[in-house]
Amino acid sequence: MTLTVQRRFVTPEPDETLEALAARALPGVALDEAMDRIRGWNLHIFAMRKPRGLLLGGDVVFVEPPLS
Amino acid sequence: MYDLVIRNARVVDGTGAPAFAGEVAVKDGRIAALGPKVEGQARAEMDAGGKAVAPGFIDPHTHFDVQLLWDGAAKPSLEHGVTSIIPGNCSLSMAPLRAGDRPAVIGMFQQIEELPPEAFTLAFDWTWEDWEGYRRALEKGLAINVAPLVGHSVIRVWVMGPEANQRAARPDEIAAMQGVLRQCLEAGAIGLSTSFVDVDENARPVPSRFAQFAELDALCAVLGEFGRMLQIVPEFYDADITIARIDQLAELSLKHGIPTTYSPVFDNRQTPASVDRILNRSAEQFARGARVWPQMQTRPIDISFSLLRPSLFFARLPRWVRVLRQPLEARIASLTDPETVARMVEDAGPDGGERLMGRLVVRGGGEAPAHLAGKTLKEIADARGQSCALALIEVSLEHGLDVAFLSANGGHDNTDRIGPLLARPDVHIGAGDGGAHLASFATYGDTGYLFSEFVRGTGALTLEQAVAKITGETAAIWGLKDRGLLKPGHAADIVVFDPDRIARGEERPVFDMPGDGMRYTRDSVGVEAVLVNGELAWTPAGYTDAKAGRICEMAG
Ligand SMILES: [Zn+2]
Repeated sequence: MTLTVQRRFVTPEPDETLEALAARALPGVALDEAMDRIRGWNLHIFAMRKPRGLLLGGDVVFVEPPLS
Repeated sequence: MYDLVIRNARVVDGTGAPAFAGEVAVKDGRIAALGPKVEGQARAEMDAGGKAVAPGFIDPHTHFDVQLLWDGAAKPSLEHGVTSIIPGNCSLSMAPLRAGDRPAVIGMFQQIEELPPEAFTLAFDWTWEDWEGYRRALEKGLAINVAPLVGHSVIRVWVMGPEANQRAARPDEIAAMQGVLRQCLEAGAIGLSTSFVDVDENARPVPSRFAQFAELDALCAVLGEFGRMLQIVPEFYDADITIARIDQLAELSLKHGIPTTYSPVFDNRQTPASVDRILNRSAEQFARGARVWPQMQTRPIDISFSLLRPSLFFARLPRWVRVLRQPLEARIASLTDPETVARMVEDAGPDGGERLMGRLVVRGGGEAPAHLAGKTLKEIADARGQSCALALIEVSLEHGLDVAFLSANGGHDNTDRIGPLLARPDVHIGAGDGGAHLASFATYGDTGYLFSEFVRGTGALTLEQAVAKITGETAAIWGLKDRGLLKPGHAADIVVFDPDRIARGEERPVFDMPGDGMRYTRDSVGVEAVLVNGELAWTPAGYTDAKAGRICEMAG
């Protein structure tokens, strides 16, 4: 049974920072750019949450934009 | 000799099989026989008058944890025909919990479930810490059956104390949580609940959200020893995240051999494709052998509120939340302070709150003058020459804040779309939140609404299908032993109802909670008798003295 392709995500490691997560998730991309992308794809963490950007162990962090 | 025979019944047995005219016999709290004709004598007989006789309904998503401690019937659930409830959802339960940690958990219950603080202090003796003690306190006065989940946030607080909502757990702490969960399951908890969205009274994410996936995986390994359910609250506002959660649940289900369920799942008009994408992902995972049950409620989202209490309605308006969370005097001071009010109006949007609040309708009752009842806030604001947000504040102040507003049709209200979704074999009907959000909406009568709207109304489900969805199928999904079917040997949880009339009553405020005391409720319509474990618990004449409710046993 094959699953349809869905948006890829990772979950944060203990005490992982956005920098570390971005470097891990988007290895070939310059760090600033990678962090920007992660922020932009994860508004539930980086816009809607208080405190803004607090990474939680249980989070789903998308590593690509929405699939159209 | 039977204890009771119900004659002249239209038997709907909870399997989905066609109803038949017949009789049901009860002995020692169990179904003893059923069929077109039951031979033998009985100490008592009941004439069902040709009405439906079905297994008692099972409500799989409730927050009656606290109310059950002073009201063993979980009123008004029982009178709607609900004979078994599952509390302890959304990562919260009343055990295991050390005395010193109670304030933290009360805060979460207040914030997430909108239970009044007095519910925790006025109405019962808080004598227990562990699950065993909680179960004993609960068992004393049950009129309804209870199958309680234990909450992940609470287990985290037990093991990690104040750091539960600060950080990831160490391996030794995860092992300790596994031990605590195992004890709870051995002492009668039926599964584990967790949440990925809820926040506490300080707007801080609840402890369960700080858990790594590895922690949840370790806890699910313990669930796997017992074959028990994991319930989660996913980020229901976003289909992509919900689908990611479904995939996580599927992994846990397959790896540990456990059932899982996520709630809520809503249909909404803004993103109509979302619900289909979500349910289709569940279907794909079911096809792989994973058990990933979406829980969908029957009722539309209607929220009522007044400025007397904090409300869900303002969840996305932080300034309003801050003001409304203050004690009454301070709140009135804020609401009469021009600077604060200006900021609140600004918070409501560049249109002064028209889009967000304009269609609110003033409810009748309370202190609101009759001439406002039924009017929209936009009409009232226009007549006063004010913005909607300002009119909301000032009209409320003019009436001691006791003006109730109804926000109707907040979503999940298109019956033509929702009927076929509820009828899907891979959709679990539930998510009603019974006993929570007391001052926002009535969380009771969803079962009556299923029959009135989707059986008699759109015809999306047959009577037999609808009954099976909320009885036999629910018991099977959760693994409740000997419940949910009219079948010899099963518990005699029975509801007698009129299929032509059953519905939910009008929503109305009542004042029967401890302390401040208000909640919205609905009376049952068309329910004629409710039996729990063979004893008559409710008739239209009212509740009986029967206290026949039990902690549910689990199959396997
Ligand atoms: Zn809930």
